[in-house]
Amino acid sequence: MAETSQTNGSTGMPEDNAAILELPLEQRDDIIVCEGVHKWFGDFCAVRDVSMRVKRGEVVVIFGPSGSGKSTFIRMINRLEEHQQGRIVVDGIEMTNDVRNLDAIRREVGMVFQQFNLFPHMTALNNIMLAPQRVRHMPRDEAQQTALQLLERVGIPEQANKYPAELSGGQQQRVAIARALAMQPEIMLFDEPTSALDPEMIKEVLDVMRELAASGMTMLCVTHEMGFAREVADRMAFFDEGALVELGPPSQIFNDPQEERTQLFLDQIL
Amino acid sequence: MSAVTAGAMGRPPPPPPMTVGYVGWLRKNLFSSWANSLVTIVLAVVLGWALVSLIGWVIVTADWEVITSRVQLYLVGLYPKDGIWRPQVAVLLISALLGISWRTWGGTARGFAVGLGAVAVIVGVIPHGLDILNRILVLAIPAAIGLGYLLAPSLVAGRSRRMVGAALIVVFVALLLIRGIEGVPGLEPVNTRTIGGLLLNLLLALFGIGASMPIGIGLALGRQSNLPVVKFACIAFIEIIRGVPLITLLFMSRHILPLTFPENIKIDTLYLTAITIMLFSSAYMAENVRGGMAAVAPGQTEAARALGLRGWQTTMLITLPQGLRNIIPAIVGQFISLFKDTSLVFIIGMLDLVEMGRVTIQSNLEFIDNGREVYLFIALVFWIFCFSMSYVSRRIERALGVGQR
Repeated sequence: MAETSQTNGSTGMPEDNAAILELPLEQRDDIIVCEGVHKWFGDFCAVRDVSMRVKRGEVVVIFGPSGSGKSTFIRMINRLEEHQQGRIVVDGIEMTNDVRNLDAIRREVGMVFQQFNLFPHMTALNNIMLAPQRVRHMPRDEAQQTALQLLERVGIPEQANKYPAELSGGQQQRVAIARALAMQPEIMLFDEPTSALDPEMIKEVLDVMRELAASGMTMLCVTHEMGFAREVADRMAFFDEGALVELGPPSQIFNDPQEERTQLFLDQIL
Repeated sequence: MSAVTAGAMGRPPPPPPMTVGYVGWLRKNLFSSWANSLVTIVLAVVLGWALVSLIGWVIVTADWEVITSRVQLYLVGLYPKDGIWRPQVAVLLISALLGISWRTWGGTARGFAVGLGAVAVIVGVIPHGLDILNRILVLAIPAAIGLGYLLAPSLVAGRSRRMVGAALIVVFVALLLIRGIEGVPGLEPVNTRTIGGLLLNLLLALFGIGASMPIGIGLALGRQSNLPVVKFACIAFIEIIRGVPLITLLFMSRHILPLTFPENIKIDTLYLTAITIMLFSSAYMAENVRGGMAAVAPGQTEAARALGLRGWQTTMLITLPQGLRNIIPAIVGQFISLFKDTSLVFIIGMLDLVEMGRVTIQSNLEFIDNGREVYLFIALVFWIFCFSMSYVSRRIERALGVGQR
């Protein structure tokens, strides 16, 4: 299984993707499958019995109170955290301790962090070029060209040779998005990407994410930007106390939540 | 008044007078209250008086013959007289290297080259006991710097990598010159026991500094290894070395370690001492490096892993460079203290600069009252080297600070 998806990832994927994205969501294949996933930190159960399927090209917004396990959950999708029970399959690759699987999954999945986590000792351009050169063994010129195109795509081509400390928070986060995209991932994970930003910079990051969603990227976003969720999300997932409480399209979540806890939480933040 | 009201939209109002510039600084730091003003004035008088007395003593009373009549002893110890040109050429080579790096890198290297050249000119021309030959030699230093500066374009052509290569070659040649080469006439190896004075301090510090970086980094990485044997060996080495005073280690390397060697093997004391200092310094460096790497934000490793970098790639590309940058002040601090610690080798009978001073005073009746001159001179020499290191450290920090948060 792992092998077929790897060949897909490296060669035919863009055209396949285009064809698949023509289909309505229901007819597409599942790119992420989670079944009965559990995670403990010591005795504390951070994620309990989460089952979720995500279609190729789908945008899922995950929200919930702090400490509800939403970050832990998406960090398990690229194995920054290990799940201890249940099953996670990403684009046909079963999540195990096998190093080859791990490498394949990290190549499939890009991640954007709340604190950006840019490498402070490298320029924006070098931040983006690093992984393609070192992991994909892309020639320097090609990596640089790709990086410049990506900076163009996130709207800051003029900042290529600046160090992270010289950029605003919004610019740093856009570089971080470009850095993740440079590995040509199938899936992007966003862990509260706008929570560390000043209000006037949130929009510039959300705009990039909107564009990304429109291009057909599969996205899992932990965020409390409800306007963004209403507009962009195909489905929303409400987490509380480590459990997936409710999963449904924004219309259901906002207008007709099925669970009392969802309603209570939305009342608090809206 | 109108300036203040206009400030809301146009030019911001200027700061109140007497709070900026020299006057502002003086008021804020030295004369902020009548009590502080009193302290300032009293201290200024006391310090000024002390300084005037010291300068008067240095120029009028002090008898510097104890230094000038035996400069060679302080600088190179008992190094053979007929081979004395070898360390001299080594110094000129390194001066030329300084000239080359001035042309190549500017900045810090320029400051150094100019500083050294100026000191050399002053020492070369002030009216004091140096004989004419030594004066010419001292004045050759700025000449060598200038020569290096002129030749730099054809030698390294402004490329940093070639500059580093040139530096390594020059240092290696200088070391070879000082030690000598087997079977080359005129370059016979010297008995290492004759090497002393400042040269001994410098050699030991050079080896200690040069070895402690790679070995220390290796130990720090080994300590975090997943392989239990490697990890345990590194921890044991670090903790044993750090738990024992340097003097004890020097003693053991000189007197106890040789007992464990086979009869026919004799390792030179200088080399044993150098190795001891290298290991000692590496153990401390390892802990510095570990601390620096631990201070790198965990998000850095996560981001690297999320991008698919392997463990060793993450270490070499992300955590190690940032960790080393974190600890530049600590590293230089360690180098400075290592340099000063090299004077501890007197305990195993080596004649370093400090010991040479002591011996000079105690074994020459005519100098028995010149201890002040000797120790002031030694202090000045150590201070110049240590201050140079901390100056370079600050410049490097500033240069690397570009990308820092």
